[in-house]
Amino acid sequence: MTSSRRQFLRSSTSLIALPFLESLGFRRFASAATVASRPKRLVFLGLGWGLTTETWFPDNQKPGADYPLPLGLEPLARHKADFSVLQGLTHRFVNAGHQGSTFWLTGANQFAVPGKSFHNTISADQVAAAQFGRETRFTSLQLDCGTYAGNSGHGPGLSVAWDASGKPVAGQKNPVEAFHRLFSSEDTPIEKRKTLLRQRHSVLDTVLEDAHDLRRGLGNDDNAKLEEYFEGIRDIEIRLGKDEQWLEIPRPKPSMPAPKSVLAGYKEIELMYDILVAALQTDSTRVIGYRQPVDTLLTSLDIKVFPHDMSHYHSTMGEKLDASQRRDTANSELLAGLIDKLKASKEPDGSSLFDHTTIAFGTNTRTEHNGDNCPTLLAGHGAGLKMGHNIVLPKGTPLCNAWLTLLQGSGVQVERHGDSTGPIKELLA
Amino acid sequence: MRSFLAFTLGIPLLACADTAPTPNPGRAPEAVLGDKHRPLLDTHCKGCHGPEKQKGKFRVDDLSYRITDPQTAERWQKVLDALNSGEMPPEEEKQPGAQQKADLLDELAHALVAARRSLSDQHGLITLRRLNQREFKNTIRSLLGVDVDTSDLPADTDASRFDTVGANLFMSGNQFEQYETIAREALDEASVLHAAHGTQKLLRLEVESTNAAISSYVAENLDAHERAKAWVNAVDAAANRPENASVVAALRKNSKTDAIFRRSWEKIQGAPSPETFGFSTVENNADKANRAFANGHASLANQTRYLQKPGLETGAYLALHDIDGGLNGSLFIRFPNDFPPGDYKIRVRAGLAPGAAPERRFIDFGFKGRSRPTTSVHEVTGTLENPGIFEIPFHRNWKHRDQNAYGVYIREKGTADSFEQLNFKREQGRKLNGIGPEPVIWVDWIEIERVPESEEAVPPGLRALTGIPLDDKHAVPKPEVLRTGFQRFALEAFRGAPPSDRYLDRLLAHYQEARAQGTRHSVALRETLAVVLASPKFLYRAEPAETRRPLRGLEMATRLSFFLWGEPPDTALRTLGENGDLLVPQSLARETDRLLDDPRSKEFVRAFTRQWLNLDRLDFFQFNPTLYPRFDYGAKLSAKNEVYESVALLLRENGSIRNLLKADYVVVNPVLADYYGLPAIHGDQFRKVPIPPESPRGGLLGMAAILAMGSNGEHTSPVERGAWILRKVLNDPPPPAPANVPALTRLAGKVLTTKERVMAHQENPQCASCHRKIDPLGFALENFDAVGLWRTQDSYQATDDQGKPIPKAVKTWDIDPSGAFHRGPEFRDFPEMRSLVAAKDEAFARGMISALIEFGLGRPCGFSDEPLVDSLLLQARAKNLSLRATLHALIQSEPFHMK
Repeated sequence: MTSSRRQFLRSSTSLIALPFLESLGFRRFASAATVASRPKRLVFLGLGWGLTTETWFPDNQKPGADYPLPLGLEPLARHKADFSVLQGLTHRFVNAGHQGSTFWLTGANQFAVPGKSFHNTISADQVAAAQFGRETRFTSLQLDCGTYAGNSGHGPGLSVAWDASGKPVAGQKNPVEAFHRLFSSEDTPIEKRKTLLRQRHSVLDTVLEDAHDLRRGLGNDDNAKLEEYFEGIRDIEIRLGKDEQWLEIPRPKPSMPAPKSVLAGYKEIELMYDILVAALQTDSTRVIGYRQPVDTLLTSLDIKVFPHDMSHYHSTMGEKLDASQRRDTANSELLAGLIDKLKASKEPDGSSLFDHTTIAFGTNTRTEHNGDNCPTLLAGHGAGLKMGHNIVLPKGTPLCNAWLTLLQGSGVQVERHGDSTGPIKELLA
Repeated sequence: MRSFLAFTLGIPLLACADTAPTPNPGRAPEAVLGDKHRPLLDTHCKGCHGPEKQKGKFRVDDLSYRITDPQTAERWQKVLDALNSGEMPPEEEKQPGAQQKADLLDELAHALVAARRSLSDQHGLITLRRLNQREFKNTIRSLLGVDVDTSDLPADTDASRFDTVGANLFMSGNQFEQYETIAREALDEASVLHAAHGTQKLLRLEVESTNAAISSYVAENLDAHERAKAWVNAVDAAANRPENASVVAALRKNSKTDAIFRRSWEKIQGAPSPETFGFSTVENNADKANRAFANGHASLANQTRYLQKPGLETGAYLALHDIDGGLNGSLFIRFPNDFPPGDYKIRVRAGLAPGAAPERRFIDFGFKGRSRPTTSVHEVTGTLENPGIFEIPFHRNWKHRDQNAYGVYIREKGTADSFEQLNFKREQGRKLNGIGPEPVIWVDWIEIERVPESEEAVPPGLRALTGIPLDDKHAVPKPEVLRTGFQRFALEAFRGAPPSDRYLDRLLAHYQEARAQGTRHSVALRETLAVVLASPKFLYRAEPAETRRPLRGLEMATRLSFFLWGEPPDTALRTLGENGDLLVPQSLARETDRLLDDPRSKEFVRAFTRQWLNLDRLDFFQFNPTLYPRFDYGAKLSAKNEVYESVALLLRENGSIRNLLKADYVVVNPVLADYYGLPAIHGDQFRKVPIPPESPRGGLLGMAAILAMGSNGEHTSPVERGAWILRKVLNDPPPPAPANVPALTRLAGKVLTTKERVMAHQENPQCASCHRKIDPLGFALENFDAVGLWRTQDSYQATDDQGKPIPKAVKTWDIDPSGAFHRGPEFRDFPEMRSLVAAKDEAFARGMISALIEFGLGRPCGFSDEPLVDSLLLQARAKNLSLRATLHALIQSEPFHMK
């Protein structure tokens, strides 16, 4: 390692720990351990264009555990005790109606910085990843719907994730891509891989040389921009560091076959969920975000309504409302399937993956251009939150309070997030 | 162009030599809310949010009416949100008058947009610009002569900004690796292309060869049909026997069709097996016999008709793709294995059958491969007796070999964009003659030719490597030679910025390390060069400056070239930059003209126009092929190109941008001339065609692409169209759609005209504040349907939850395009509205100039740019608002010369 790189790596605070191995002995030992000793996982599912207000939210006059399931949540009936719906949450800075995901996990004020027309801050998933990601092969996993994001109401961004500098984090755009990133096996012998890693370092050293050269004479603003390049290289360095640590450990075998073709819509989401489960099962990562396709979901359900127009169902109801409701049902079916799989997946200590995972399911857009009462559903027991409840909060409660509660409950050391004012008491079990 | 030189000399020019001109910071106008709104806030809000009470810890009485900081903006936003959502004033309190409220909302929303714009003003600061996706692709092409696929790179922009704005061009580790991957692919491709340099290849396909297959296919079908008929008769005879009556009755009960009934032939005593009649494949023979029996009607007739057409000895017809295959849905030519990548031409000799309808004289051309849409559309001229030859140039990538693009096809336009379209066309044809559409395009032969490169046509990136073999057939060069090659390559890739010695040392070390590991020279070389193409000096267009300063010559060359070509300067421009000549205004003007006259300026026209006018929206939705059969893919492609070609024509002919508002001509190809119902023209290129004064065409508002964007593929959207006019034409963009406005639900299920439905929204002051401006403009375009064709009537059909029409819930009405601008003049119809819009040419020019500033300078156009906008407008006006003159003025302006 050259001195310049050592210097370079020192600037990052990343600590790379060795993976946690499950030997048979450990397994026997672990079965006696408490459920809480298993690592926590977080999953964020972004829905883009919201949902049908009238038929998705439970009656807000019937808070608590004893509420009738509304139409849009019916497919989740078998899991009723394992999720809670939160009502009244909002991002006070977000006034845009077409951006379901841009600020969903950040709560940032787009106009906070004078002289800039766009500003964002770190997303909740990345806050968790900074801590949980040290112990897994992948710090976090971003799944995405690629070019369909615009028509799916997600708004600017490349996934639900935004990094510590408020830059968009790119995602895997389809199941094939995601699967290969996680599980493609390495046939190359270890010695050869070591050499390749050395060559990678050599590449990075070379481009850094050019970057340093370029930096000379740049003004502050340009320098800040070029810093992104340095950060990018630093991220790769950290990943290479991880690769070195994980070099001797073979990639895990997922419990699913490699997807062959690129499916679209319903089947695609289903497959992404399978990959998501496989990633958690193999402990390849503990934090996953997914910007789901809405555009192709409709097509796959044979719905001809244009996705954006569907959200404006109030003017004509009929076909648009029906499309909106069928979309909700499909989303809930898919989520129910995901919960089934997480419940069925056993951890080494006999508990289920679902016991250690929390899914946040929602978006920054409710219906039409509305951002008040952001649809928010939490499922899973990973954060020790109150499940099975219809939780009606005071109108205007910061959505970031929910993220804060979720992060803290999962064991992330964090005092505040975005514009949070404190954890949500009603959500604590 | 002489006149331009004179013009550029006439304007105040900038001295760019030694003295740095002080940048004009401009005065940001303040976002101010008029005092006239004070009474409303005092009356309706102050009681609870004033000196006495501060409910929700919020006061309105001390809010400044000048919005100059983010905190004040945020507080006003709260006021706006509360009014929009209807939360304030509370229901039980006295409400402000609708008109008064709408006016306040209107002004407040605009004041907040102004405040945001003012607060986010970059004051001329241009943030370091990374090559965006498009520039990266073009730059690789100009350096290595190859096309790369950049679709995997993360998107560069959101809809509200140009892809040139540096602040929005991000970078990450993943992206770095994607650049490396693409660079490697590009270098592989370049090596293969280089090895094929000068190769000529030619292959002709005499398409009558396809007829033999069709003929035997049809014979088989006829035979199978006869055998199936015999089997069906035999089964029926057995079924009619009295002893089978009860069995048959039970089977009939459970069989929806005769075919399903015959599947159970085994249960009918005496019924022969389908195998007896020659249907003896592995399984499902009864089904096969059933199908052959059913095939007796339209399909077989269609096939038989084909074989009776004239000209089959020397050619073949393009037919509608047959359900069972068989006919030539397309004609396809496969690249033989030894045909290398490069520039190709496909030539087709073809003619039209007598009596062919004029709209059926076009073909779609494209690459064969998975989900590859039509690339272009062409006209067939000539007849069977006297066929014409048309030629389509295209580039074939090496990489395409394994992406299923193993050949190229032609087919009749609009016959196979989708299955829905195909079925619709077939059904239409059957309705007409019982058989299906008659094939009308006869093809004599198709040939593909690889066009050999000229001796000197070596891309600059490869020229820099002279002396270094790209393959492993020659001796490996010495380190000094390699180092010099890397230096020259990097200098070229870095657009003239020199690489450092240490960088070159590392490159060489990297190459040698790979070699030491046993990597072949050719691979090690490409790996090393790929590093250069992922280095910051390649990826970023740096203009290093601690403080604001005028650009140096080379920087100016790069800025100009990326502005007008979207790629690096060529040798001539770079030389002028390096020796400083480019900083002389006359020389800069000359180069501007040269770049604009070069075909590469197509990139400016397309990239700018697409983003400026938001043309991407056209691809947002599928146009329903059964409602709008004429707006097929070829028509849509042509419609989009019309917008580009209309802008290109302004550049070519030194035209005024007023022509985009109203013109006595259109710029069309034969497909669009047909679409618009103009007299037929011939030859594929777009050209200027005069139109009569009463024509609704001429200008953006009459273009099919613009009108189709203002729909959702099924219905027109007057709101979308009206808002587009305000944004793009009148430079008066409506503020963003407000969040949390209560929904209007009482119209659901009602059968109303579009106007009634939309107007109902204006009862609500929250909606009226913007829609009173938007809607009348949109209604004026209602005579254009969802695909921009003229109509005089419209109808609404209510549908049920399944999307099925509800009987009798239908309404048809005569379109009434009349209306008035909000607090402005009235118009009776579209032409009058268009004339009123055309009179606002200054507003339009202002909007376009702001867009050009943002696109060209790579930063948002802020309030502090108003003096620049004013000055450019003044200069443009002196030149009849010529687009070319406007570009000249911008390029000669001080900000264009400043880092």
